[in-house]
Amino acid sequence: MEAGTQEMPAFMTNRDEDVTSDSWRQHRKHVFVLSEAGKPIYSRYGSEEALSSTMGVMMALVSFVQSGDNIIRSVYSELHTVVFLQKGPLVLVCVSNSRQSEEQLRGELLYVYYQIISMLTQASISRIFEHKKNYDLRRLLAGSEKILDGLLNLVDSDPSFLLTAIHCLPLASSLRDSLSQILQKAITPNLVFSILVAKNQLLTIVQEKTVIEDARLEPADVHLLLNLIGASSAFQAGEIWTPICLPLFNPDCYFYAYISYLDPPECTVCLLLLSTDKEAFYAVADCKRKIEEAMVAQNALSLIAKAHSYSVSQVGVSDLRHFMYKPFDVPDTYRQLTQFTSPEMEAPYSSEEEKMRLLDLYRYMHSRIHSSTRPLKLIYHVAERETLLAWVTSKFELYTCFSPLVTKACAITAITKLLRWIKKEEERLFIRYPPKYSTTPNPSKSSRGGKSDQQDSTENGFLTLL
Amino acid sequence: MPEGSKMKKPDVKVVLLGDMNVGKTSLLHRYTERKFKDTVSTVGGAFFLKQWGPYNISIWDTAGREQFHGLGSMYCRGASAVILTYDVTNWQSLAELEERFLSLTDTANQDCIYAIVGNKADLTDPKAQLSHDSIGVSEDQTQCEEEMTEPQILSACPTPPASPESLSGLILHKQVAHEDAVAFYGRILRYKGLEDKSSLPPEKMCFETSAKTGYNVDALFETLFDLVLPSILRKRNENQESPTVDLEVCRGAGGRRARSTCC
Repeated sequence: MEAGTQEMPAFMTNRDEDVTSDSWRQHRKHVFVLSEAGKPIYSRYGSEEALSSTMGVMMALVSFVQSGDNIIRSVYSELHTVVFLQKGPLVLVCVSNSRQSEEQLRGELLYVYYQIISMLTQASISRIFEHKKNYDLRRLLAGSEKILDGLLNLVDSDPSFLLTAIHCLPLASSLRDSLSQILQKAITPNLVFSILVAKNQLLTIVQEKTVIEDARLEPADVHLLLNLIGASSAFQAGEIWTPICLPLFNPDCYFYAYISYLDPPECTVCLLLLSTDKEAFYAVADCKRKIEEAMVAQNALSLIAKAHSYSVSQVGVSDLRHFMYKPFDVPDTYRQLTQFTSPEMEAPYSSEEEKMRLLDLYRYMHSRIHSSTRPLKLIYHVAERETLLAWVTSKFELYTCFSPLVTKACAITAITKLLRWIKKEEERLFIRYPPKYSTTPNPSKSSRGGKSDQQDSTENGFLTLL
Repeated sequence: MPEGSKMKKPDVKVVLLGDMNVGKTSLLHRYTERKFKDTVSTVGGAFFLKQWGPYNISIWDTAGREQFHGLGSMYCRGASAVILTYDVTNWQSLAELEERFLSLTDTANQDCIYAIVGNKADLTDPKAQLSHDSIGVSEDQTQCEEEMTEPQILSACPTPPASPESLSGLILHKQVAHEDAVAFYGRILRYKGLEDKSSLPPEKMCFETSAKTGYNVDALFETLFDLVLPSILRKRNENQESPTVDLEVCRGAGGRRARSTCC
């Protein structure tokens, strides 16, 4: 696609990288997406054109193994792990020297796939490639590379993806409840999710009743939404209206997302409203007006501004440097919204390198716990500069990081104290009861609305609720 | 939800259309924020309200990506003005306007006005390379465009660059001539069936702009806003007349006609 390459602006440095250079080879994690016909679709570093022969080799590997009625899953070399994932007409490849497990890398490729689906839907991708096997999907994805780049950066730096759980901002439960009530009152027909986000963490989420009965909102879908917010914040004074598919909810249909910041120009508090009606922009924008007014009346913005993540020192356990706790037993929420809690990463993990090193240790612990060949329930790992303990029960999954001199007995006592502290703070750390509202039109109306919806869904694959 | 409509009701709707990377968001950003920013690709459409005198103008900045075409007609519904944007250094971007974007404007108002805007003029045109940041300059811009009085612009520029090349380094080949845009404008009028009527002349509706330097950006938006004023006023008048009066007028006219045929 000539136009696309010509227009690639100079500031997209990832794309400009020389793919023959040593620095290109040394990237920690490469991700490539190609079509079954071997056409390049996306590369995290370097332009797809420059890499077309590399991707050709990848496709040759895939086809060669396929011709023997087999599926290529991974290739190991001394330094690199190459992981393949085939999803419909797309082939995703990760080349990593991060020492992550194959399962984790495949999980990350799945996120990349979901992000592509969130923009195009699975149905339309299948339709396109059925129609034309050598279609250049970049025609449709051009301009979305930044969203994929952003996702991969998040996957590397945010443990939410590793844990497939949502990190919510700690908040006094009374404040969280009043925010939920504000969202619950500002509704319009066909509104299905109202989500409030601050500092890239969830404040509260309100869902349509029937949606909850039908299906739950998967953490991965929420991650994609949060990534979309991050990627669309270029022009923060405006109100965004865009189609988005939540692949785990329904991979073939679109929701319409309304995104707007409530506190310009700081732009830390973001409102996201999802509707199933593509024409509902003005009605949904009115909901925002109501939410805004209610928040001003309750002084909610300044209260949110005061909310922040917590320090591990608040737990009051010496030697404990950091932890990640993912409960399975918070009433009502596990089935609906898997969450985890974690303190700020503080010294000695304040630099980017050290943060990454701690995350890598967690990833190692996670891979041992979730090993497909030999899963573990408990692992105590003495590393060079710290000691880690990971523990999975039927009620929670816990990763802890201690100073290197901690003893096993000390660590166990510390974890007992930690669990007690979390129990005490549970109300503040988690969204306990995701509230609901009902916005589906009443039956008399829905017969008419339903018809036009149906037409929409056959034409464009848009989601119909009823 | 009529009870919730406390928001300032927009009087008119303006829509920015065009292929990806031609600089739609940058144009709007230059106009509203008075500065240039390398923005990331727009997702879907972004909605802005702009106060223009006593009027509220809503502006839809849309994504150029084909992926979002499904919503194009929704963004254009009821539009009073559509800004069709291309990149002067990219012939294909003008062709795309005709192939992909023109049909999206079918849902716009009958009396919708169309502006053709060639952005990134700073890459091909020395006079567009000069900074147009200060508000004072914007007053002169229409004049500058017409008369190309360079000294005038230079005097408004605090530190005039020694040569135009010093700003961007090189002059790119201009792929779309002004005449191409004018010809396209003619085809739009034909497509809309607006020929020969008192439609706006192409020299008034074809712009070359630079979001980077601000060249002609204010002139573009302000010309358009001025031009949509009549449509605002017409709409307001329509709203003032109550529907019963309308009915009476219709019935009266119909009745008279009926009688006349009778006799």
